[in-house]
Formats: sequence, structure tokens, C-alpha cells
Amino acid sequence: MSNALQLEKINDFSWRIPKHYKPGMRVPGVIYADERLLKDIKEDKALEQVANVAFLPGIVRASLAMPDIHWGYGFPIGGVAATDIENGGVISPGGVGFDINCGVRMLKTNIMHEDIASKLEKLVYALFSGIPSGIGSKGDISVGIKEEEKILVKGAKWAVEKGFGIQDDLDCTEENGAMQGADPKAVSDRAYQRGKAQSGTLGSGNHFLEIQVVDQLYDAKICDALNLNLGQITIMIHSGSRGLGYQICEDYTRSMVGCLNKYNINVPDRQLACAPVNSDEGKAYLSAMRCAANYAWANRQCLMHLTRNIFERILENSWQKLGMFLIYDVAHNIAKIERHTVGKEEKILCVHRKGATRAIPAGHPDLPEKYKKIGQPVIIPGDMGRNSYLLVGADKAQETFYSCCHGAGRLKSRTAASRTIDPDSLLKELKSSGIIVKASGRNTIVEEAPQAYKDVNDVVSVVHNAGLAKRVCRMRPLGVIKG
Amino acid sequence: MGNKYYEVLEHTADIGLRIKGSNLEDLFKNAGLSIFQVSCRKQFTKNKEHKALSVKLNAETLEDLFINWLNELLSLSSANGLIFHRIEIDKIGNNAISASCVGSSIENYKVNIEIKAATYHRLKIKEDKGIWQAEVILDV
Repeated sequence: MSNALQLEKINDFSWRIPKHYKPGMRVPGVIYADERLLKDIKEDKALEQVANVAFLPGIVRASLAMPDIHWGYGFPIGGVAATDIENGGVISPGGVGFDINCGVRMLKTNIMHEDIASKLEKLVYALFSGIPSGIGSKGDISVGIKEEEKILVKGAKWAVEKGFGIQDDLDCTEENGAMQGADPKAVSDRAYQRGKAQSGTLGSGNHFLEIQVVDQLYDAKICDALNLNLGQITIMIHSGSRGLGYQICEDYTRSMVGCLNKYNINVPDRQLACAPVNSDEGKAYLSAMRCAANYAWANRQCLMHLTRNIFERILENSWQKLGMFLIYDVAHNIAKIERHTVGKEEKILCVHRKGATRAIPAGHPDLPEKYKKIGQPVIIPGDMGRNSYLLVGADKAQETFYSCCHGAGRLKSRTAASRTIDPDSLLKELKSSGIIVKASGRNTIVEEAPQAYKDVNDVVSVVHNAGLAKRVCRMRPLGVIKG
Repeated sequence: MGNKYYEVLEHTADIGLRIKGSNLEDLFKNAGLSIFQVSCRKQFTKNKEHKALSVKLNAETLEDLFINWLNELLSLSSANGLIFHRIEIDKIGNNAISASCVGSSIENYKVNIEIKAATYHRLKIKEDKGIWQAEVILDV
């Protein structure tokens, strides 16, 4: 039995679920939020899930939650958990999620808003018709099994070798767009089958492609370094590993449910099924998960290539001349083996980021040369009516294993959104704010309405004030393509 | 839509379903059909072909069987581009199911929600006075 949850205030931006809250918790829970966001967070079952994650064998420091946290299944969305591999630390497919390496990339351009205002509608329609989106959508980039195996190993590099991008794109992608240790043999035939036709497709639900404009600068020095100015057009792409990732998560959740008995693991929710990272099951999942992660990076690379092509066609200029260079690509559903200092010891940890973004600070050895001085770009998309942010990792993120939030976080259920929001008046409202939306389904528009999300400005303000990442600039949407 | 054998439960990010059946066979059949009914609606007849696929699964517990069953249907649907509209269960017990599932092309449907998978989170399966009921959360 658990006691009534009494959160302990650590400071204005973080709160603790004490370890004694539930017998079986190995570490406390720590939630990054201010009082206002905490009120919403308490509305659903996310805090219970933070406590449940603290049961994972080998978990160190705390079960962490970012300010965009909301109720998921097993892990909360916006959760971070690191396990100590040498001390029986586990890996859980539920701690990554079904959409493995769901993530986001951001491109800059040298186009100013006023230069394309008259062509915006044409661009949005061209992107909507030229980029396969929606459920069951198939990509133009269709590949055979042999080729798919190459994608699973090479990730975004596969796309670049095919001519869908340049080396600089890979330098500006987390893990250079391909995790090492991906083994296609760990991927089931069914997963291959589900992934076959989906390369270069956006997907559905909260996945999107947005044309945005920079509307606020916070850090002039970093904006200068990145060549970002007010009124400049940027592009954001949010997608994942599609059916391939879902199948891998399902295959391995199934096998790891059996591991709970085998390794005598006690977790309060079977969706937290896990196995020691060093076990055969753990290693196999990690190999397969890396395949899905690489597939997702290839997918976002293909989506960016299609976007560049469409901009070239509509604006009658090459993408290089339009300055459509990748700022960065981050994964926000992933597990990675990383070195971190815990207490005074350096440890090799398995860091689960489920709806959380890696955020490494300036000087970190894993940074590409061009970002060594400013830190890793952290891309935080908001909802289709408000803002998105670019931040960079900051030193204090050491306490979260260099992790930060991943978005605004849902506030309202899809059913509640559908009940209360009228799609026509929403579209009208967005249009009057200068936002053109094209979506495969009217349902998507309603379910993804700004009212269904927390205000990303509040969420980002917490990670900035807590010192996990530094605000660089803010964008607002102009054109939105939804799956 | 408007079927009596399932209802949608509130969940912040995902979708919950409460499904009923007059026996275990009925529960599994209704659960299988409900995941497609909640996500899509027949709108066109672009492809008249109906395809039957057989599903045979074993599991250690009834809960595992239920989750595996729903995930197998979602997986087959996605891999074959089919939406299942008829399910006939040949055999069912707590640890095994064998069924025939008939689907038609996804092109005939307007799909509103992509269900990624059925999850164990807050899964409940119970029988009360001959009525079977399951609650399941689907990742969307």
C-alpha cells in the first residue's frame, strides 16, 4: 500500500516524491515544475508513474520528470531514468516507448518572413501534397529488405549516400544519425514488413512539419553564432520510426514480460517490463532499438530532403542558396549507454529518455566541433498555435543526466479535445493569427489543438530557470502540416 | 460507432477502452473489433477484396493473451494494409486463442487515429455474473 503523496519542495522549480512513498521505490522521484504547472501535473496519474519508475533495478539518483510530464503507459511521458549497468541496471522497452527515436529536427533558412509571405500558402499546400503523411501512408522512397537492413545500420548516412543530404546534416544529428551496435538480426520479419513502405513518411497524430518564423531572441551571442535573426524562417520536422519501431517495442515488451520472473524483478506495472542491460534479452532489445533509432534518423533525413526539394521548386532557388541548413536533430524517445558522474564515481549508465531530450552543455566531448563552444541545440516544439523554442544544454543538466523537456506536454485528452473544440472555428482562429494548417484528418486538428496542450512558454521557462537548458530563441508557426 | 460493447475512457495522452462480452470468446472478439471501430470509419469502396488471416497465439496468462491478441491484430493490420471487420474465434482458453480475422483494404477507410499498440498499463480483465469486462489503454 502506498501513503498519500506529499511532494517535498526542493526549490521553486523542482519537487521530490520521497523514497518512502511506496515500498519498493529504490530512489526518490524528482519533478521539474513550477507551482502552476504542478497543479496540472497532479490532475492525472503521471506522478504515480514517476514513483513506479523508481522501482527499476539499478536506477540511480532519482526517477526524473520534466515539466511537460503527463500520464503515459508505464513510464510517464517526460520521464528520465538512468540505471547502473554494472549493478544490475535494467533496460525497459516501455522506457523508450513504441515510437522509438521519435524526435525533432530544425532547419534554418536565410529567407525572411516578408520575402515569402505571399508564397506561404503555396508552400504549405506543396509540402502537404509532396510529403506522405497520415496513417497507412507510403513513401516514394520504397526499399527492399536488403536495402532496409542498410538503413537500420547506417541510419541518416544511408540517406546521405543516396544523395538525400550532405555530410554536414550528419554532423548536426545526435549520434551523427546512426547509433553503433544496431543489429538487423534482432529485428523480426514483421517489423521489417511494417517498416518497408514507410521511409520518408511523416506519420500521424502529433507528428508535423512546420514553417516557422523567429519571433524572439534570448541569447544574442548564440543567435549570432547560429546565424539566427528576428523574422527569419525556420523549419521543424517531428517524426519517428513508424511501424518498425512500434513492432520492435511490442516484440521486446512481450519477451521482457517473461523476464520479470526470470530475473526476479518486481515492478508495479507490467508495461515497465525490463531485463538487465547485460542479459541476452537486454542486449537483443538494445540492438533492435538502435535499428529503429537509425531508421527514424534516416526517415527524418528523407523528410528534410523532400522539404528542401519542395522549397527549391516553389522558391525557384537551390536549397543551399536558400540557406536551408540543419541546425540539429534530437531524439526524444530513446535509451542510450552514457558515462555520467554519480556521487563521486564515473558510471556507465543506461539512460532512458521517454519524451525527454538530451541536453549537453558547451565543452562536452560528445558535441560536434561547431557546437563545442555553445552547447548542444535543444529543440522544443510547442503546439500548432503557440511557440516552439531553440535552447542549448546547460551545466546544471548534469543532475538530469543531461536531459531536458521535449515539448509542451498534453493537458487534455483527445476525447476531451474532440468534445469541446470545433475544427472550423479553430482553423479560422489559427488563420486569423496568420497560421495555415493542412492535416490529413479533421480529428487530428482538434486533438492537436493548442488548448489540448500546456503552454510551451511555461514549460520552457521552468527548464531555463532550473538551469537544465538555456533559451536561445523562440519561433511561432506560420504553416503547419499534420499527419 | 455507437456500439454498446465498448466505451472510451479518458486518458491524457492515449485512449482507454472498456470492452464487454457475454463470455471470454465474445470479449476477445469485441475487443478485437473495437480497436478498429474506434480508430477508423468505412467510407469508400476502392478495393472490394476481403482477406481472411488466421491468428494463433499462446501466452502464459489471460492478460498476456489479451494484450498479445490486440497487438497481433494491430500488427497484421499495419503489415497487410487491412482493417479487420469480422472476427471468428475458433478456440479460446486462458492461454491460447485461434481465430480467423477478415479485413478489407485500409484504402476503404477514413482512419482517424493511429493506434500504435495495446499496453499493460492499468489492464483489467474480470468476469462478474457471466459478463466479461476488460479495460485497456492503447498508445496512440
